[in-house]
Amino acid sequence: MKKLRVIGFEFGDAPFNMALDEAIMRSVGAGKSPPTLRLYGWDPPAVSIGYFQEIREEVDLEFCHEKGIQVVRRLSGGGAVLHTPKELTYSFSVEANDPSVPQDIQGSYLKICAPIISALREIGIPASFRPVNDIEVGKRKISGSAQTRRFGAVLQHGTILLGMDYSLLPALRARAEKLTEKGAKDIAGRITTVAETLGKEVGHVEFSRILVRKFEDHFGAVADFSDLSEDECIAPTLEERYRSIDWTFRR
Amino acid sequence: MERELVRKFKDGKLVKVKIVMEGGVIKDARITGDFFAHPEEGIEIIEKELIGKDLCNARQAVESAIGGITLIGLRAEDLIAMVQECLDRDR
Repeated sequence: MKKLRVIGFEFGDAPFNMALDEAIMRSVGAGKSPPTLRLYGWDPPAVSIGYFQEIREEVDLEFCHEKGIQVVRRLSGGGAVLHTPKELTYSFSVEANDPSVPQDIQGSYLKICAPIISALREIGIPASFRPVNDIEVGKRKISGSAQTRRFGAVLQHGTILLGMDYSLLPALRARAEKLTEKGAKDIAGRITTVAETLGKEVGHVEFSRILVRKFEDHFGAVADFSDLSEDECIAPTLEERYRSIDWTFRR
Repeated sequence: MERELVRKFKDGKLVKVKIVMEGGVIKDARITGDFFAHPEEGIEIIEKELIGKDLCNARQAVESAIGGITLIGLRAEDLIAMVQECLDRDR
């Protein structure tokens, strides 16, 4: 990979964030945009649910409404995630046949998570990969990713918990049968953050910088900070879909 | 008549199969959960394939539709077994 386009850190709301990931993925898949790393945050806080999840099983909609938490359905599978403004989120899009990303799904998760692990280690966090798609510190999850392959592209997006607003966790309807296996009482006990691990805060922009450097190293690419293409400004129309009841409540 | 089956797989993925039967044929089928399927549409194709099938030819419909899907978090045979079990409850 010669060039990696970087869309620098910015906060967005949930439908915008998901629409822009999709717009970038479509453009990359159509060969109109280079491989792209986008860094972003969530404001207001939001819950994203996996493509196949049943919304009412996963989300306490009343709690979300009360707290001003948005709910959005992702294009990617996987589980429900609470995104608070303290989280740093990345999305990485490459053409489906890009040789720098393995065709097999497990291998590709590892390849795209590797620079994130390197960045965490650089700031002193002993992070390691936990198959299929998590990054852990000790037994606690600090980053989780989800992948979708469509429109001629691979999109992997995921969380990096720089911090977490634990008071919003009741937004997720945790299921007892899922938690017992991993040996923790509740979701809060299964996750950790950069701030907790280091005892100090690391900012979104500061960590983004390290992350970009690690992606350059791991993919042998030069970062190119550039704007979205005209093509990707279709995001507003996609955004409407992500805001729609039809899409959000389709399962 | 509505039948539902929820199962948790060993890496923690939860899968739910819901089948609505009417007059001996499947009227609606839903497969939900926190698994991954590539391509995602494969799951919707399975659901569509099930509609209109009866207890005898439902399994075969799933088996033939599942071939082209890469599943992460559950195996194809697990999903086939779940659909079968869900249907068996209806007998």
